[in-house]
Amino acid sequence: MKRKLVFVLVAVLSMMVLGAVSAQQKPVTIVHWYWADNPAYSAQMQKIAADFNATNGKSITVVAQEYPWDGGAYSETLFRAVMGGGGPDTSSFKLTSTPLFTANGLLVNLDDFLAKWKDKDKIDPSLYDTMRKASGTKSVYVMPWNTQVLYVYYRPSLFKKAGVSVPKTYEEFLEACKKLTMDTNGDGKTDVYGFGMRGAKGGQEPWGSFIWARGGNFDNLTTPQAIQGMQDFIDLYRNGYAPPTAPMDGFQEIIANFKSGRTAMTIHHIGSSIGMVDTFGNDVDAFAFPGGVGRWTSMGDTENVILKSSKNKEAAFEWLAYLATGKGQEAWCVATGNVPVSKDVQQLPFFQNNRFMKVSIEGAPYAGIFPILDTTTEWINTIWPNTVAAALTGKISAAEAMKQLQIGLWGK
Amino acid sequence: MYRRKFSPWPYLLIAPALIVIFAVVFFPVLNAIFMSFQSYDLRRPSQIRFTGLANYVAAMHDPLFWQALIKTVIWVSVGVGLQFVFGFLLALLLNRKFPGRGIVRSISLIPWVTPGVLIGLMWRWIFDGNYGVLNDLLMRLGLIHDKIPFLAQQSTAFPSVILTIIWQGIPFFALMLLAGLQGIPEELYDAANVDGANAFQRFFMITIPSLKNTIFVTTLLRIIWVANSVDVIFNMTEGGPAYSTQTLSVYVFNKANTLNLGYASTMAILLALALALVAVPYLKTLFKAQEESK
Repeated sequence: MKRKLVFVLVAVLSMMVLGAVSAQQKPVTIVHWYWADNPAYSAQMQKIAADFNATNGKSITVVAQEYPWDGGAYSETLFRAVMGGGGPDTSSFKLTSTPLFTANGLLVNLDDFLAKWKDKDKIDPSLYDTMRKASGTKSVYVMPWNTQVLYVYYRPSLFKKAGVSVPKTYEEFLEACKKLTMDTNGDGKTDVYGFGMRGAKGGQEPWGSFIWARGGNFDNLTTPQAIQGMQDFIDLYRNGYAPPTAPMDGFQEIIANFKSGRTAMTIHHIGSSIGMVDTFGNDVDAFAFPGGVGRWTSMGDTENVILKSSKNKEAAFEWLAYLATGKGQEAWCVATGNVPVSKDVQQLPFFQNNRFMKVSIEGAPYAGIFPILDTTTEWINTIWPNTVAAALTGKISAAEAMKQLQIGLWGK
Repeated sequence: MYRRKFSPWPYLLIAPALIVIFAVVFFPVLNAIFMSFQSYDLRRPSQIRFTGLANYVAAMHDPLFWQALIKTVIWVSVGVGLQFVFGFLLALLLNRKFPGRGIVRSISLIPWVTPGVLIGLMWRWIFDGNYGVLNDLLMRLGLIHDKIPFLAQQSTAFPSVILTIIWQGIPFFALMLLAGLQGIPEELYDAANVDGANAFQRFFMITIPSLKNTIFVTTLLRIIWVANSVDVIFNMTEGGPAYSTQTLSVYVFNKANTLNLGYASTMAILLALALALVAVPYLKTLFKAQEESK
């Protein structure tokens, strides 16, 4: 009897142990690729991954690997890696790359995951619509993460010195660029340029505001209005209101020029605000790009995707959900100042009381994106910078430049 | 009659090497040739198909292709030419005995052992129009009054990247020509001195003929390397502004980067053919000269 009792006890204990072991999920590792604008953001992403690993309770380990943004070449690096049979499970992503990746069947369709996701409604439905539109299908392939609306950074002290007030119209903005170009030490040379122009890759985003301000748009770049917008852009450079290096100035250069006091205004999004405040304290502020005949500013976007080659798609979605609406969303947007996609996070005091966030929100109603076509990536990376450089340096006219840009983007 | 028995062993022994060479050299080359006859654009995967000579015809009608080809000719001829001249001068200097020669020889190798990407980034900052050290130096010397945006204007961008490639390649020529100089027997110069030859005559009648083979081989190697070089230009200008620094290899790289692999392969094949047009007569001349000297 005693032996039977011991046998039953051992059997029950064994079943309990086995049950506990099987209840615990099999450990999985998710490799995630991302880019970061500076070392602080890089450290933040590593911390978010570490926090997720410690708290997800599902034995998911995220290994966050950083790759350079490289003016947009990140997307091509990711594409080549995945096409070559490598690449990560999940990655940060830009909407403009969606056609390339979906045309080659590289992204996981998120419809089923989203249908089952309890936090789906925490994200504005219009964002899902934008994601569907970008894919050219009725499905969502990219998970919203954060957005950035471009606006104008300016130095209040330089505005005061030049006797300029914050421009309310496009014409006033052009006039401000002129007045803010100053010889501050009387040596006959320009020390401060009114506008920190971005002529290298990525410069198409601020440039777009000029085209729309004159009444142009991206559907037809050869209209007289669009050409006039281009002419304004050229005139700013040719008249000496932008640094002579502008045709080759990219993100690093425009930020360095603004931070060193070489430019009085420059256009970028809230992602730079923390660094700007670190440099200038209260002597930096922002205003939404003013309207003329039309009004437009670029809505930057950053999403996350699951690559089809991932063997752990469920775990990958857990991670993306953490970034979209979980603690990862708050941590990243607070650290970088980006506009959160989670409605809950948007309501936090940090975002409600941030002056740059207010300008971002002011610009949101007329913020848009460039046409997402299979030509867009080449147009952004090669055609736009070289064509605009030719126009800025007087090699071709505004009309000829716009004709080339039209052909490069639309093929005719 | 004695017939040698066939043995598979020699073939088996070289098979691994042949397989590796085929996999890493011939297969990619054949693949590139095959792709050059296709509309192989990964942005439009559903449209990938055989298109015959369409890419070659497109290249012939592409003004950027011709512009890049002309840039390549200038890039190679000026770049390699001046590398050779300065490399030769450096080799002659380093061949003389002077205190600290070993240290100078070592230091002179720095540009050659520095990775091209790093050289591109370094010189990009040296030429920078806002904070670059070159502008600072020229202003301090009173040679210029306003900073020059070296890499942002078409008139100065291409000379700037050429200057960089010259700086990078000088040590290669110096090193190879120095080795050649050290192989010339002293007796030849002694005999020339006895015959009353001056320095000019000694240089053109002993030094140059003795280095002929070295000069041929090193120049050919550099022509091929410099023509194919992407790293320096790409890290300095990415081919801009307004395509003014876009050589053919950079154009190929830019096209491949935008995933139009068919067109990129076509231009790569055309570049290879252009290089062959230079290399084949060059090698023929070299071999002919060697035959004649026997």
